[in-house]
Parts: sequence; C-alpha cells; structure tokens
Amino acid sequence: MTVSSPPGSFASPDLRHVATRSRPGVLAALTWKRVRPRFWPVAQFLLPAAFPLAILIAWQVTTANNWLPVQILPTPATVLSTFWDLVTGGDIVVNLQISFWRISLGLAVGGLAGLAFGTVLGVSRAADEMLGPLFKALAQVPSLGWVPILILIFGLDEMLKIIIIAKACFVPIVLATSEGIRNVPRPYREVAQVLRLRRRSVLTKLLIPAALPTVFGGIRLALSHAWIALIVVEMLAAAEGVGYMMVWGRTLFQIDIVIVGMLIIGGIGLLMDAGLARIERGMRRWEPARA
Amino acid sequence: MSLSHGVIDDQGALAIRAVSKSYQVDGRALQVLKGIALDIAPGEFVSVVGASGCGKSTLLRLIVGLDTAYDGAILLDGRRIEGPGPDRGIVFQDHRLFPWLTVADNISLGLEAANVPIPEQQRRVAENIALVGLDGFENAYPHQLSGGMAQRAAIARALVGEPEILLLDEPLGALDSLTRAYLQEELLRIWRQGGVTMIMVTHDVEEAVYLSDRVVVMEPRPGRISAVLPVDLPRPRDRAAAEFIRLKERILRALSR
Repeated sequence: MTVSSPPGSFASPDLRHVATRSRPGVLAALTWKRVRPRFWPVAQFLLPAAFPLAILIAWQVTTANNWLPVQILPTPATVLSTFWDLVTGGDIVVNLQISFWRISLGLAVGGLAGLAFGTVLGVSRAADEMLGPLFKALAQVPSLGWVPILILIFGLDEMLKIIIIAKACFVPIVLATSEGIRNVPRPYREVAQVLRLRRRSVLTKLLIPAALPTVFGGIRLALSHAWIALIVVEMLAAAEGVGYMMVWGRTLFQIDIVIVGMLIIGGIGLLMDAGLARIERGMRRWEPARA
Repeated sequence: MSLSHGVIDDQGALAIRAVSKSYQVDGRALQVLKGIALDIAPGEFVSVVGASGCGKSTLLRLIVGLDTAYDGAILLDGRRIEGPGPDRGIVFQDHRLFPWLTVADNISLGLEAANVPIPEQQRRVAENIALVGLDGFENAYPHQLSGGMAQRAAIARALVGEPEILLLDEPLGALDSLTRAYLQEELLRIWRQGGVTMIMVTHDVEEAVYLSDRVVVMEPRPGRISAVLPVDLPRPRDRAAAEFIRLKERILRALSR
C-alpha cells in the first residue's frame, strides 16, 4: 500500500485520523435508527425474559403434574392471587415501605462511612498499616455474628436493624474504595507529582475518578449484602417488613407468601441495581461508549 | 505570538555533575548510571540516544525530580534539584492524560501549582492549545483523540506552566511514521517559538539528528555517556543530505560499539 500525497501537503495527518473515525459512527447511528423500531422492542424484551419464562413454565408443569405437593410448591396462579391479595390488602405496601426505608438508610449510612474510611485506608499507608488488619479481622465476622452483642447494646429497636444493614454495606464499600484508590496507576500518580497538584486536586481529579468503577462495584455488592442483612434482622427481630412477612408466611406454612417475598426482593433489587448502574454511567460520561 | 519562556532572561541552564544512580535488586546494587556529566545551555535542543537499559529514561526522571536518591549533583541555574518544580515540564511516551478530564481541563492541571487567577489561567490554556494546534478540541476527552493529538495535548500540559526546560521521554515513540514526522516539525516550531530548553530521550537516531543541536550517546551496563556529537547543520535539515547521513552513521557506530 502506498500513501500518495505530495510532500508538504500532509497537513496534520492525525487530525485526518479523527475525521475518518467519526464517519462510521454517524453511519451506524443512521442505520440503527432505521432498524430499531421494527426489530428491537421484541428482541429487547424477549432475550432477558426467555429464561424466567422457561422457569415459569417448568414451575407450572411441576405443579400441574403434582410432582411436588402444593404445600411445598404452590402453583403460579396461587402465588399470583396471594400477590394480588397482599397488594390490595395493603400489606405489601406497608412492609415494602419499611423494608425499603431500612435498606436505604442502612446503605446511606454504611456507604458514606465506608467511602470515608476506605478513602483514608487507600490514601494513607500509615492508616492502612494501623487499622487495616483490625478492619479485615472484624469484616470476616458475618453480620449475623454481630447480632447478639448489638442486641444487648441497642435492644431490638429500629437502630439495631439500621446498624446491622449499615455494617453489611460498610465492609464491601471500604474494601472496594481502598483497593480502587491503591490501584490508581502509578503513571498517573507521577503526573500528579510532576505537576505538583494540591492534595485536594489529587483526590478529586485523580484518585476518586480513577477509583470510581471499583467503588461502584463495591456499592452494588453492598446492596446485595444489605438485602441479606435486612432479611436476617427482620426474621430475628421485627414485626413488619418484607423479611418479617416471609417468616410469617413460613410459620403459617404459606409458601406462596414466601415466594411473593422472594419475587419482590428480586424485583426491587434489580431496579436498585439498574438505578446504580445508571448513576455510574452518568458519572463516567467521559468513557467511550461500549459497543 | 510571543511566549515568555526562559530564553529572554537566559534561564534554563542545566548542569549534570558526576551523577551516579543504583537500584537495589535482590539485595545487590545494580548501577544504572555512572559518572554522568553534561552541561546544557539555555534554549538548547539536546537528544539522548542509547540502547534500552542504558539509563536514559532514568536520567530524565532524575532531572524532573521524580527520583532524588542519587549521587552527584544536578543543578538548574545553579540551584540543586530537590524534586519536581515549575521550572521543568515532562512529556512521557504514553500521553498520561487523565481520561476523565477534557483536553482543556487536562492542560489546566499544568497551571494548578502556579496559582494564577482564573482569567489568566484560561488565557494561557487557550494560548497553549493554539500553540500545539488543538483548537476546537478543548472539550474533547482523551479517548476521542488520535495518538498524535493526545501527545500534543500532553506537550501543552507540560508547557502551560512555562517551564525553562521541557523533558521529552520518547514522546513520539508510540506514533505511526507519518504522524511522527509531522510532530517532529511541530516540536521544532514549538521550540523555536518558545525558546524553551528541550532534552529529548529517543531511540530513533534519525530523529535525534534531525531535531537536535547536540546528540548524547549513552552506553548500557552501567549507563554512561560514550559520546556527545554536535549537529552543525542548518535547519530545516535534509534527511537525504550526505552530511546528515554521515552523522547518523557515526552515531549508529558509536551506539553499536
């Protein structure tokens, strides 16, 4: 291959590079628009729905053939009508409100504390050496292990539930934040050093943006830990909430209520995860779009 | 356009005196630089060539102040270098722009330590964007730039603080040959326009001869200077000229010794 431009006329070859790069992008956008309305709405829903649909069918077949007694596995129709009863009766709304409130508050408290503490561990080697081992040891103790001693201190109040959920969120966020900051590439740190950036700028313009993807991974992990902690505390010590509703369903041997609880937790969790992903995308707008 | 880089008050004289540097590798001292002595005049363009492992990049790291543990002395205008400072800027082989900041914000970082008022800051950022020919790309993110454009933004970031010396660590090493030839012209233009002292590490002998006032040849194990060759050819230089080729071959011979 030969490049046949006369000498001296190769004005800015790297600018030309950009011009050619953007053209396929425009083309792709145009064709996308044309194809999308005909084909995509169906495929977009079909693909993620295929697997749940298969499970639903298997479930229906299992109950219809009495492979499992209905006391253990109620029919989809039963679960649906229970769901409807719980919605119209207002039970779900009340329980969901209180559970959602606990999750949000726990995630906010544990998350903010985790971000702050994780940043300290990530930025300061001294702090990491001094507090790191103790933190890691305490982090190994499952949330459930904290319950007896926390009950003695805080009683069975709302405070106990929030603290346990916050603790469940705190650990993964501390780990993700400190690791995210420690793993900021050395070349970038050298740039900050050579340009003699102020401490605050090092934090806001280098460490935080560079650690963001890892931190968000931690936050999303924290969310799933928060649900686990929520169900645990509501099963142990509560008179309302989705977890309580499920315990209540189990004691009455109304597995349909338990399944409704599971579906609700899954649905809400999916929505919250999607919300977090959206926030993350908003904060990382500088990134090239993933094709 | 007149940029007030060092040449006016004759600053940017670098004196490297008997500099040696060792790393500890498996408990043993590995010498990477031995007895480096070099004087660089203000406004000079000096290239350092050498096989990989000859310590040429280490030398730049010492000059910029990223590493202060060495024997000997490096003096800038008579003062000992104790760490990074506003009088030196550096461009690395990988542009090292922060991917989450726009071109203009990346370049502004180079002014942060200078504490200039915001209007002045904006003026100087715009001026340097124009200097490297990136007008219109102020709000682009690094991933939207080609390699050559990103490297130009990195040059602007290093120059915006108006250093006396610009250190270039194989700045064009990762670029394709067309972009490379183009940016060599750009470097010369920026050098002439600003009068800043330039010290460039490269493995491309032709590039060194084409750009520099002097070419420093280094040898590895331990890294030391084996020759310093002046390039007394008028600019613009003709890469095909007999004199040019002779000099290039002399340097290549010095390298392969």
